[in-house]
Amino acid sequence: MKKKFRMIHDENLCIGCQACSVACRSENDVPDNVFRMQVQIETKGIFPDLKMNMQRHSCVMCEDAPCVTVCPTGASFQTKDGLVQIDHRLCVSCKYCVVACPYDARFMNPITKNIEKCTFCYSNRVSKGLEPACVTVCPTDALVFGDINDTTSEVYKKAKESNLLYPKANLGTKPKVAFVPNKKGVSYE
Amino acid sequence: MSSTYTRRDFLKTTSFSAILAGTSCMAGKLGSLDTPMFDDINKTVNTYCEMCSSRCQVEAKVKKGKVTFIQGNSHSKGMNTSICARGASGHSQLYDEQRLVKPLIRVGKRGEDKWMAVSYEEAFNFISEKLSKIKKEYGAKSVLFSAKTGEQFNHLATFTSLFGSPNLFSHVSTCPITYKVAFHHTYGAGLKRDFSNSKYILNFGHNLFEGIAVSKTKKFAKAVNKDSCKLVVLEPRFSIVASKADEWHSVKPGTDLAFVLSLIHVWLRDGKYDKEFVKNYTVGIEQLIESTKTTTPKWQEKITGIKAEVVERIANEIYAAAPSCIIDWGHKTTTGQSEFQRTRAILVANALMGNLEKEGGLFFGKKAKTVNKIANMNIAPTISNPDKHIKIVKDLRIDRASQKGDNIFVSRKYGVLMDIPDAILSKKPYEVKAWVMTRTNPLITVANPEKMKEAMNKLDLIVVNDVYMSETAQIADVVLPEATYLERDEGIQDISSKAPAYMMRNKVVEPINKTLTSYEIFRTLAKKMNIDSKYKWDNINSYRAHQASGNIKLLEKLAKDGYVSFGIPSLLYREKSYVDKFVEKYPSASSNLDENGLFTKMIKFKTPSGKIEIFSQTIEDAFPGYGVPANHDMDVQKGYPYIITSGKTAIHTNGHTQNIPYLNMLMSDNPVWINPITAKKENLKNGDKIFLENSVGKEKATVFITEGIRPDTLFVYMGFGRDSKELKRADGKGTCQSKLLPLDKGPVCSTMITNTGVKITRA
Ligand code: SF4
Ligand code: SF4
Ligand code: SF4
Repeated sequence: MKKKFRMIHDENLCIGCQACSVACRSENDVPDNVFRMQVQIETKGIFPDLKMNMQRHSCVMCEDAPCVTVCPTGASFQTKDGLVQIDHRLCVSCKYCVVACPYDARFMNPITKNIEKCTFCYSNRVSKGLEPACVTVCPTDALVFGDINDTTSEVYKKAKESNLLYPKANLGTKPKVAFVPNKKGVSYE
Repeated sequence: MSSTYTRRDFLKTTSFSAILAGTSCMAGKLGSLDTPMFDDINKTVNTYCEMCSSRCQVEAKVKKGKVTFIQGNSHSKGMNTSICARGASGHSQLYDEQRLVKPLIRVGKRGEDKWMAVSYEEAFNFISEKLSKIKKEYGAKSVLFSAKTGEQFNHLATFTSLFGSPNLFSHVSTCPITYKVAFHHTYGAGLKRDFSNSKYILNFGHNLFEGIAVSKTKKFAKAVNKDSCKLVVLEPRFSIVASKADEWHSVKPGTDLAFVLSLIHVWLRDGKYDKEFVKNYTVGIEQLIESTKTTTPKWQEKITGIKAEVVERIANEIYAAAPSCIIDWGHKTTTGQSEFQRTRAILVANALMGNLEKEGGLFFGKKAKTVNKIANMNIAPTISNPDKHIKIVKDLRIDRASQKGDNIFVSRKYGVLMDIPDAILSKKPYEVKAWVMTRTNPLITVANPEKMKEAMNKLDLIVVNDVYMSETAQIADVVLPEATYLERDEGIQDISSKAPAYMMRNKVVEPINKTLTSYEIFRTLAKKMNIDSKYKWDNINSYRAHQASGNIKLLEKLAKDGYVSFGIPSLLYREKSYVDKFVEKYPSASSNLDENGLFTKMIKFKTPSGKIEIFSQTIEDAFPGYGVPANHDMDVQKGYPYIITSGKTAIHTNGHTQNIPYLNMLMSDNPVWINPITAKKENLKNGDKIFLENSVGKEKATVFITEGIRPDTLFVYMGFGRDSKELKRADGKGTCQSKLLPLDKGPVCSTMITNTGVKITRA
């Protein structure tokens, strides 16, 4: 069966520590001062009734991917496992995809001038049976990754027991990164 | 209506502005060398981290001779492959161009930043000549020695003793001293927390989600994410821990003592405590009843700002969850003058709930020696300290630590850093001439750095051993570059928890430019100065062999896996199921069982009474009125309109990591948190430049308006506001709270006070 990859970010377990972001930088040689992924922390409410949300900011691997649709050279493409990748030999750095991506996930590598984004560490890790670097290092196991068709996998179990949401679901891009929304707010008497 | 305040500002988000590459390179830093050569080795090394003091077990990957990726060491179950951002950035420090790689001797005036790069040999000659001369003229005690705790500290301590000085200092007085002293006088030794199984955790700002220790953080995160566990947080700011709580109460800084005293009042008033446990294991309940007679929930309401009903409810909830509850003493938390009483009150509150050696409560660490005794056989190898026979010099110290007076309860191994400036400037009790330190930066991490600097400038010799050209290194006479932890082999560390475990630091790559480790530095200096006859070891391998008493198997396992445990079941002395499992595996342990089939005989308190001391005569004798938890010293505001507090971020460690490229890229500044009400009153908007000011100093700050802080309180992350121009990325950015802190000490335990009153003025 074709693999159906999912990454789940549990906002209740996430502590916004950025270990994922640093591991991504090391694993993928991300140049200084640009990021393939970060977790952004947002505090909401009026003192003392507050809530803090942890949002993963990265490519969400759309099934209906606008970046692929607009790419004039076919450099942006989908693997047979449904992961969106960039073939740098074909990319002409026209930046259509950067503009088309509704998740603000793409950027130009300031050194190579290539367009880059989160790849789920596909060629360097996932295709070798490893997890993406961010998932590997997360100190609270807030990230879970795997083939959701495999009923023995962690990601299958996590998906079953959680209420999954998809970022900007209204756009219909069908992302493969899901999140478990933050349940914790603060009750104060 | 709800408005949104974002904390994205703290993170530098995607941007394309390239940073300016440092063009001028000081001779002595990595950037001044030709590109280092790397061999062609690919390997994985298991070791442990030193990007902070938590010392998590990690695995480092080397590709073509270069460390490329660091993750948790999966041999250590509590870690698995997890790591924190700082730990994952180890190689960013290792290969940082701004890192020091050559010894430097000052050639200009102090602080002028003029240096001559020399060989280690030349530096050692210089240091040993100077130290010998000072020792001859003023006595060995005129030289101070200090280090951050850890293995390097132990090697420095040995050197200090052989040199003959009693003046050894660790960082403990600036951070964990309170709970160490409080535990000593209450339980006779420290305890650990069983977060994983707890049903109720009351947290006073113990910041495990920002002051990370990976395996503890993981356990804590998973526990509090379960519906079966309730987390209540009392903290002035809306921290990450507060955001994960079931309830957050924004307590006024320094007053959480009142909250704990009031909890105790309710339990005692209603008879809702573990009477059996208190009768069998404690002394002093009468004094506690007396001292908490008036500390009612109503009384605390005015002090803490938390409603009386809340205390009543929480007291009942905790009692209902007991003994599976933790009233968490934290690490360093509120830190006003009431810190000691607060921590003692928390320890006593736990005792009332009878949670000792119970699942989800508190427990003693189970080291090899202990489990071997229980099992009546050797089930885990013990390790020993090869320098044990080298004793700390018991002369008069400049801070009189452990001698009659303010610091009587401070160990000679810790000392009180805040007492150094006065001692130097007043030349009392005698003259101080030199300071030798390793990996410590008192000009950022200790209160009133201005005064500290003034004192340091009176010294004839300052030797600093560091990875970076820190603020303190800037005013040194000799700076020794230190090999980072990825370039060091070190000894075995005991990290036993509910079962024995050890870890060992293993060198991942050869030190760049042959920089030395601090044990090599002090071992060589000792040899050079002819004070090394008492050492039993010459190099790290003989040190390790002594530790392991020749147990080659243990050493091999640690060299390979970096971590070892022995398949011994977790043990809690008062939990039947744990005890049964242990006895099943080691039947010879059954002779230690009591009539209930538990190991209650093993519970021993190393206090004068042999019990948990709710009232301590020892404390009462030295500090009248402090023998039992009671209402003392809760004002931290000192007449100023605002209180400034500080704390950790998950991205940096104290005063050490701000310049590390990966981490600086994520966070390079610490704007001051201000509530919108306060901002309105002071007419401030986001990004405004202000001064925070009090009688100690005046420090610049950038305004960050957030709902996540009380209107009477301000907050900054610690370790910023650097002023060493050699730290090119961090220099001049942010606020250094230390510059506003008086050199006061908390009573009994001599802790550094880190909450203080300030006013806001316009820049
Ligand atoms: S490493 Fe895990 S906990 Fe930390 S920010 Fe990333 S997802 Fe969140
Ligand atoms: S998130 Fe953006 S870059 Fe990623 S697949 Fe979707 S459109 Fe493409
Ligand atoms: S908490 Fe992070 S920096 Fe500290 S020792 Fe653990 S991995 Fe290293």
